[in-house]
Amino acid sequence: MSNELTDAIVGMREDDALAIVGRELDSGIAPTVVLDEAKEAMSVLGKRFECGDAFIPELIMGGEIMKGISELVKPHLRGPGDAAKRGVVVIGTVRGDIHDIGKDVVVLMLDVNGYEVHDLGVDVPTQAFVDAIGQFKPQVVGLSGLLTLAFDSMKATVDAIAAAGLRDRVKIMVGGAPADRQVQDYTGADGWGSDVAAALNLTAQWTGGEA
Amino acid sequence: MAATGEELYKQREQRFNDIVALKRPDRVPVIPLVSHYFPTKIKGVSNRDAGFDHDLRLRCLREATVEFGWDFVPATGLFGSDGYEAVGSLQLRWPGGDLPDDAPFQFVEGEYLKAEEYGQFLADPSGTTLSTIFPRIASGLEGLGMVPPLYFLSNMYYLQAVGGGLLAAPPVRAALQALLALGDAAAAGAAADAAHTQDAATQGYPKTWAAPIIPAFDVVSDTFRSLRGSTLDMYRHPEELLQTIDLMQVPTVALAVQAARMFGNPRIFIPMHRGAGGFMSDEQFERFYWPTFKGLVETLIDQGLIPMPLFEGDYTPRLKYLAELPAGKVAGHFDKIDRQKFKEILGDRMCFWGNVAPSLLCTGTPQQVKDDVKELIDLFGDTGALILDSGLGVPDEARPENMRALREAAEKYGVF
Repeated sequence: MSNELTDAIVGMREDDALAIVGRELDSGIAPTVVLDEAKEAMSVLGKRFECGDAFIPELIMGGEIMKGISELVKPHLRGPGDAAKRGVVVIGTVRGDIHDIGKDVVVLMLDVNGYEVHDLGVDVPTQAFVDAIGQFKPQVVGLSGLLTLAFDSMKATVDAIAAAGLRDRVKIMVGGAPADRQVQDYTGADGWGSDVAAALNLTAQWTGGEA
Repeated sequence: MAATGEELYKQREQRFNDIVALKRPDRVPVIPLVSHYFPTKIKGVSNRDAGFDHDLRLRCLREATVEFGWDFVPATGLFGSDGYEAVGSLQLRWPGGDLPDDAPFQFVEGEYLKAEEYGQFLADPSGTTLSTIFPRIASGLEGLGMVPPLYFLSNMYYLQAVGGGLLAAPPVRAALQALLALGDAAAAGAAADAAHTQDAATQGYPKTWAAPIIPAFDVVSDTFRSLRGSTLDMYRHPEELLQTIDLMQVPTVALAVQAARMFGNPRIFIPMHRGAGGFMSDEQFERFYWPTFKGLVETLIDQGLIPMPLFEGDYTPRLKYLAELPAGKVAGHFDKIDRQKFKEILGDRMCFWGNVAPSLLCTGTPQQVKDDVKELIDLFGDTGALILDSGLGVPDEARPENMRALREAAEKYGVF
């Protein structure tokens, strides 16, 4: 593995990162190795974000570079090549709220950190969360929202999960700019976070791993 | 003898001005910076009706102001749904349009100007707005996509032949009619608002602000390029992004000054969305956000106006920049922020307004609200440079008993 690619991604040098990937693939380096390397660089960005040394733009731009790398690598991949996942997460912005920026960053970072993520989108009805838990058997459910109306939607979702007899099977985190301990208590969730670092930490904790 | 409305108005405005100027007031006021659906919700009025019935909405707002003991009548951050309906807005959805009657209005963020269109936009901002952006933000304005560059029509031959032909085309006529309907809706809204402002003043309540002025970076990020788009632009198209921000700065400042003069209200609300801690690095903030924001604030102060920035998100990491603003001139309103750090860094330069968590007002108990107010007054009571409000104005879902608790705690702990 080269540090060159990591450096280019972490340094936000998009053109360099894509050129390095092209070169590595041409020289016969396994595509899965190249992808792992790129994901490792994203993890470095995630850790820097947690320490306050990187910010949302680095995560968004990093995600964009990742997308470009995936496009280059895809034709070289044979078979699904699924690596073992660290855990399963179902996530969505709750009913009545259409904000997706924070959720999308969390989805990206969970994905590059090795989780199987099922993103239900925005304005997600409570029943859709219940159905997804039945279908995907996640350990973690993420309820996202930016508006204050999301508090009641989050609570209704947690209640619906309990009413379906699924509450003991999942840990639930509520997230978004207005989330705090107060919102966690009100909704009956197991944890809260107002940024991606918190989401990664809770997920790691609840799936038995390290952040 | 009880004070007249006029006397109360003067007292309340003076109290506010004193706090902004860091002079100790007689007591801590409660002033919601902005209000959307709370006043109508508690009266059982649907969000749909609040958007269409201006008189009803504004009456509920005045009643809430009296009932909850606010010092100012908050300007409503809710614009008339009739205007959105008139042009078939796609960028802003409204209850009773394609949203349920009980939903709040929603801004649909998107790339209404694409990255590859920066060149076209910078070469011809007005033309691109007319024929490219308008059709994207409103279905009723689709016909404007047919309009050629206006300079091509700048002689009578082409105006008559090409321009006349365009004005005969049904899609263009439909767009012009939609714009006239928007004007009608705006006139009705403005008349209702003028009467309301006068009524509130007669009752003794100044209005919080004359107009909302979005900082130039946020105009570009919120309404042209989206957060994702403007973020990628910082890396891929930094020069075009900066040129567009600079282009927006001139009319932004001019509109603020003009609105203050027109409404006879010196207070200008500046909602800030993208400059918060976490949203960009210090280097990016210094390059892309701070210069035009600071320029806006300084110009308003030079014009004798009072900037009311709503520092949305967590501005704790930006306090060092806020310390560069003139002391005693800015009514800083804070969403989430480290109160202690604010007091240490800015306590002798800027008043502190807001910061009661929306979650507390929506889901907490009156006692929790009172405890939080007491903490604020304990911290800022030495100077009295404090105005009470939630972090983002009155949340739509605030519990009325918690809004009452806010005022009760102000009276209990905040009379000097």
